[in-house]
Amino acid sequence: MKFIQYIGGIFTALRSLAGGMIVTWKELLTPKVTMEYPENRKTLVISDRWRSELIMPHDENNEHACTACGICMINCPNGTIQVTSSSIDTEDGKKKKILDKHLWDYGSCTFCNLCVITCPSDAIIFNNDFEGAVFDKSKLLHRLNHEGSKLRDRKKEASTLDTSAKKENKEA
Amino acid sequence: MTEQIIFYLLAIVVTVFSILAVTSKRIVRSATYLLFVLLATAGLYMLLGYYFLFAVQVSVYAGGIMVLFIMAIFLTHKPGNNVSIKQGWRVRLSLLLSVAGLLLCGEIILNNTIGIVRFAGKEEPTMQQIGTAMLGTGKQQYLLSFEMMSILLLACIVGAILIARKTKTEKNEPNETEL
Amino acid sequence: MLIYSQPLELTKLLAAIDNFLQGNLTPGWTVLVKGILVGILILAAYTLIALSLIYIERKVAAFFQARLGPNRLGKYGVIQSLADMIKILIKEVIQINKADKLLFYAAPFFVIVASVLAFGALPFGMNLHALDFNIGVFYLLAVSSLGIIGILLAGWSSNNKYSMIGAMRSGAQFISYELSAGFSLMTIVVLSGSMQFSEIIEGQRYCWNLFNGHLPAMIAFLIYLISGHAETNRGPFDLPEAESELTAGYHTEYSGLQFGFFYLSEYLNMFIVAAVAATVFLGGWMPVQIKGWEAFNQVMWYIPSWAWFFGKAGLLMFFSLWVRWSFPRLRIDLLLNLEWKYLLPINLANLLVMVVIVLSGFTLTDLFPALFGK
Repeated sequence: MKFIQYIGGIFTALRSLAGGMIVTWKELLTPKVTMEYPENRKTLVISDRWRSELIMPHDENNEHACTACGICMINCPNGTIQVTSSSIDTEDGKKKKILDKHLWDYGSCTFCNLCVITCPSDAIIFNNDFEGAVFDKSKLLHRLNHEGSKLRDRKKEASTLDTSAKKENKEA
Repeated sequence: MTEQIIFYLLAIVVTVFSILAVTSKRIVRSATYLLFVLLATAGLYMLLGYYFLFAVQVSVYAGGIMVLFIMAIFLTHKPGNNVSIKQGWRVRLSLLLSVAGLLLCGEIILNNTIGIVRFAGKEEPTMQQIGTAMLGTGKQQYLLSFEMMSILLLACIVGAILIARKTKTEKNEPNETEL
Repeated sequence: MLIYSQPLELTKLLAAIDNFLQGNLTPGWTVLVKGILVGILILAAYTLIALSLIYIERKVAAFFQARLGPNRLGKYGVIQSLADMIKILIKEVIQINKADKLLFYAAPFFVIVASVLAFGALPFGMNLHALDFNIGVFYLLAVSSLGIIGILLAGWSSNNKYSMIGAMRSGAQFISYELSAGFSLMTIVVLSGSMQFSEIIEGQRYCWNLFNGHLPAMIAFLIYLISGHAETNRGPFDLPEAESELTAGYHTEYSGLQFGFFYLSEYLNMFIVAAVAATVFLGGWMPVQIKGWEAFNQVMWYIPSWAWFFGKAGLLMFFSLWVRWSFPRLRIDLLLNLEWKYLLPINLANLLVMVVIVLSGFTLTDLFPALFGK
């Protein structure tokens, strides 16, 4: 009786081993999921939600929406953003703050998105351009507003449907 | 000429490592030196053209017994410690004994050189010849001694199992895992 | 027997080299130069095979895990292992403070010398055989058993408990499985009536030993593959270097070239096991031939013998990789159970069955001499 069990055990073992090997054989023939990154740049799809680099969108007239209010700077948990502004006199005699420099440090940003959420005029967004590696630490300090850019005219902006829809979203 | 050079090289290896094996104070090193001695002996067989004996020497002594030696040494208490030889009379006695053994062997070899050459000069026996010599019952065949050896080894194995086996009373006692 | 044309065979090249040497040198120098040439060739082949095996192993392992494996250096990453070799060569050999220095440095040499000795005696192809002892199989078993001493010494002299445990496990495993490997090869020696590799191969001209000895030969083949796999410390039997419990086993403390020795010899031992199995069971370098089909045989002979050898060995190595990446690691008691309670008794019975079959003439060559006979 024990002998029959012994012999039977050998065949059971062989069968189960063969079963395991069939599984791995199938795995050998499955298409591979590995992406070969630098070669597949053209077909690479990065999710829209991916936060990589903080940018300030400028339109074709080199105008941005930043009013230099500094809310993003206040909300940043680790002081990554530095907003410097200066005040000028407008034509109608009022004093107005304009943006000098919007500095953002790529190196110390935690990509928490608080600055984008709290920005009252939707001047900054995160894009998904993830190739941010540089050879020098000083290059990580980005200046977001372009040279010679200025604030977009409010009245023109209000007429566009796009921004109002965005604002509604934010309130909701 | 080449053969002589190789022979003397092997002889030097055997001599030097034999002395080292005895005088070394670390037992694992002694075992390793002994291994070199055995390998050099295998080399001598190779030089003579006795490949079968060479393979037996390497697989049984170097590959088998030495591995068991080394593993047994590992299992002993503190194998890494240096051994100091305290009793001088032991050293002298063993020196005396080994010199006596050397003289005896030398005497035998010197007086029987012709006989050794007669056997060594023969061609290497084939596997079939060795097999029939080991398992035959005729003249110059060694079935009886072969079987005696196997019975001896079997007795050793049975004895080892008997020593290593747990007795029944021990089994009934609660062991560590149960506690 | 017809002589087939063998266009890609290296026989003529070797004969030309031989003639050239004999024409220009005295006999003594010819032997010396030939010896050096063969030595260089064997060492070069050793390194090349080991490097390509490392690459193949990494690639196959990746494919079994639905990855791509090395793909950066060269096309499909083919020179990855060459780069690894250069890296290992220029790495520092770290000295261990309380290690037994002499044994620590000697241990890797034991391992690699044993595997080179075994490698040198393999029949790579027609006339590509450095040493053709009449005890070829026995010689191979004998010298490959030396490697374990290197592993034991490496484990002990490192003065590290992980190395030590790894070495002890390796020793127990190697001694156990060497028995099975030896017995399964002896089964085939009984069948082919010789231990000489050239005779074993010649005997398989029309019928491989695997089929010639049918049932017992197949059992022996299976057991040889299992025990050979276990002897090389790979696959499900790699518990001497189980990284989760022993970091790296016996070569934990080794670095640089010394580690490279262990690494190379591990892969080469895998090749040696596959090559011996191919030679002894699958006809070695002998092309597949069928008695009477002269045209077919001629076509088969167009493929050079060394290609047959490496093809067969490669197939078995792929099998070994397949096994390695299929099964989880065994526990040490299960490992020894497998050897002492299953493989060894089956092997002994198998040897007896083989003797009975050979003596009573039930091998295929005896039963159908018209089809398979020499």
